Amino acid sequence: MATTATVTLSSDIFSGFSGYSKTMTMYKDGSLVDIDSSTGFSKRKLASTTKVDLITMANELVEPLDNTGAKVYIKHTGNGKGVFDKSVGVTVLINSVEIGVLYGGDWLLMPVAVVDAEDIEVKPGSDATVVLEYVMFYEEG
Amino acid sequence: MATTTAAISLSSDLMSSNLSVSTDTTLMKAGTENDSLDQARMGYNKIPTGTSFDLLDATTAGVDKAAKVLIANESEDETYYVTIVIDAKTIGRLYGGPDGSGDWMFIPWNQDDATHDLEVTATTGTNNISWIVFHEGETLPTQGD
Repeated sequence: MATTATVTLSSDIFSGFSGYSKTMTMYKDGSLVDIDSSTGFSKRKLASTTKVDLITMANELVEPLDNTGAKVYIKHTGNGKGVFDKSVGVTVLINSVEIGVLYGGDWLLMPVAVVDAEDIEVKPGSDATVVLEYVMFYEEG
Repeated sequence: MATTTAAISLSSDLMSSNLSVSTDTTLMKAGTENDSLDQARMGYNKIPTGTSFDLLDATTAGVDKAAKVLIANESEDETYYVTIVIDAKTIGRLYGGPDGSGDWMFIPWNQDDATHDLEVTATTGTNNISWIVFHEGETLPTQGD
């Protein structure tokens, strides 16, 4: 079993920048053993500025092992009907500390501590309908 | 106008039906449809163990601006890792890996106040970290500051 992620960046801000690409395989803590658990791929529709839990760590059916190699992927898919409005942002937080804002079409992939109460929260910037897709990979506790 | 894109390809066979996701996005200034991020910085640092370092300093010029950050652990040893912290909140760990297979992260970065620094703490040994920030809004400090 393997879970891999490749990022590819291109930019003409630097005149000589030839791009960047890197692939990682998600492993268990300090090992070359493949990570073994996932929330599954999910979709969540939001239509208000209320902050909500996207992933509540204490509610996972398989308890995650704290402070290991867990990663979360989140994508702002626009309104869910093919419209990617870059002016509609969703703030991503961990236990009330802001990470950043995903605008229409933006995605993130980041490590997460998966400690109980260190939930992944999202807060739309407007009442416009936004749909988030997400999946978390983690090590079973 | 500058154009910067970020693409991801994610695959997993953890579930009974294999997961495969590919997407890309063009990095724009905050809340804009047609105005791309137009500034960038990049670097490569050796992070010794035991001390928490500011990898990226938040600046008030970045408040309410868009910024995207890539951080990768270039260490070759899978037992090496850095802990990523933002504003005293532990985000998670990026591990090293053989043959350049170490972990990476790509996030939007809110510099909502000057304490919203992006910090790293290395464990096990000196970690090699590469990073790129695409952003807007920065002005250089005047000479003597």
